[in-house]
Amino acid sequence: MADSTAVVTPARLPAWAVALAATGRFRFRGGGAYLYLLPSLVFLAIFTYYPMGFSAYLSLFRWNVLTPDPVFVGVANYLSLWREPLLWLVLRNNLFYALGSIPTTMALALFLAVLVNQKLGAARSVYRVALFYPTMIPMVAAAMLWVWIFNPGIGLFNYYTGFLGMPRLEWLYDRHWALPAIIIMSIWKNFGYFMLIYLAALQGIPAELYEAASLEGAGAWARFRRITFPLLAPTSLFVFVVAIISSFQVFDQVFVMTQGGPADQTNVLVFYIYQHAFRFWDIGMGAALTTVFICLLLVLIAVVFRSVGRRVYYEAD
Amino acid sequence: MRRRLSHLATHLTVALCALITVIPYLWLLSTSLKYKTEVFTPTPQWIPWPINLGNYAEVFDRAPFGLFLINTLIVVTGILAVQMVTVTLAAYVFARRQFRGADILFLLFLVQMMIPIHATFLPNFLTLRSLDLLNTRVAMMLPFFASGYGTFLLRQAFRQIPRDLEDAAVIDGCGGLRFLWHVLIPLAKPTLVAFGLISLVSHWNDYLWPLIVTDTPDVRTLTIGLGMFVQQESGADWTLLMAATVFVTAPLLVIFLVFQRKFIESFMFTGLKG
Repeated sequence: MADSTAVVTPARLPAWAVALAATGRFRFRGGGAYLYLLPSLVFLAIFTYYPMGFSAYLSLFRWNVLTPDPVFVGVANYLSLWREPLLWLVLRNNLFYALGSIPTTMALALFLAVLVNQKLGAARSVYRVALFYPTMIPMVAAAMLWVWIFNPGIGLFNYYTGFLGMPRLEWLYDRHWALPAIIIMSIWKNFGYFMLIYLAALQGIPAELYEAASLEGAGAWARFRRITFPLLAPTSLFVFVVAIISSFQVFDQVFVMTQGGPADQTNVLVFYIYQHAFRFWDIGMGAALTTVFICLLLVLIAVVFRSVGRRVYYEAD
Repeated sequence: MRRRLSHLATHLTVALCALITVIPYLWLLSTSLKYKTEVFTPTPQWIPWPINLGNYAEVFDRAPFGLFLINTLIVVTGILAVQMVTVTLAAYVFARRQFRGADILFLLFLVQMMIPIHATFLPNFLTLRSLDLLNTRVAMMLPFFASGYGTFLLRQAFRQIPRDLEDAAVIDGCGGLRFLWHVLIPLAKPTLVAFGLISLVSHWNDYLWPLIVTDTPDVRTLTIGLGMFVQQESGADWTLLMAATVFVTAPLLVIFLVFQRKFIESFMFTGLKG
């Protein structure tokens, strides 16, 4: 009995279901491609694309501790953000962090990559490990370690920079030096990864170029300036883009080392959103900030894809 | 002679930079082995004497770091296992099939690389709250199950495998998933390993997202455990804090030292292709 119903059932399906099944089968055969993409697309849709729209929507509501049920307020959240001096301080801090960390990190990475790429024998792998290992350390742990190093009284940093004639500083407790301290720590944490990327690119430059240049009497600096530097331009652009995007994401260091202080001098965008959402429980404002952040990133992406991306591809090919 | 000298200068410069980079970690190890009162010295005492291993035992007494380690292992392997499936399937069709909307769909994958969880954590938190998934290990994994970066890397690898191979395989009746499993994946193994290592390292180090979606110790990972430990021990007991920090960093560092060549190749290689 059960068997016979099972056999009959398909014929009883409504016409739309049969049609749907047919298109489904057609897709399977013709472009089953979509089926392969489905698992990824589901997660991308829920956790990358839906949040963009969702936060834009939420940003139009007042929804905080005092207003537990969301009330539509239009662009009021954005207007109050615009008038909020702290937002501008936060954006300035992000800019300062990017300017302070990216050029130094890139220069250090390039410099050390060129040196490590020389014939250094067995020592080379030791150098690579020693310069790269901070990448393996969680940022939170690294931040913890540097809080100890920046300790004003008995920290290593003040002790050794004292030898170089630098004054003792309060570092994380000083409103002018807290952000530079975070920048120093982040450079230490990140330059090794970029050094590896430069090393990979350096190994792609044919040795004959250098030999020919040496025969022409070019010195080390001339070879660097005329061969290495121009040929690394696509890599530098790649590193620059990665560094900018990750500079916007700075959070862990700030959370552990300063909590945005002193006096918000190290408060950065992600921490600011975190504060609004999880300290003040102001979801509306948090969503407005999230939307601002996403728009910033989208503009950045457009710039990357339009100019930088194209150039990197052309030069790399 | 001049060449010799410049060679020596290179060695010295790199060695000095390497030393400066290593110093913070040595200081961390040194502090973690001291007695509480020994850290307050006017000049840094590099060699802890007498050595005190008690800090490590005390850390374990005060917070369940063993459990944090297990949670971290579950979360990173869970993410990697699902990523391997989603990424290979997607990379395969992007590399091998022509279909309508392929370019736009690929762009959707790429954009994910630039819209990180740091930008979307608030709406994602609300989503997980409405799904009633907060404070679970799955919550820490879900946003990372699809990877635009992994798809991109693997697509490049698949593309370098000759097309004739697939034509031959299809004629022999080994198309689609079987071809992917028996031919493409073994041939793209270096890329899979590289992506796997990068995924493991970056999720081992995740902080913001696990911080937001967890609020009890039983699901917390090492990084969150360390952060909580810092707040809990706000009396600035440096020897204890440093011992906890060593414990959080050591597993990955030890694996890195053992397989350093593989790690370094992977990170180099993916940067080059990225």
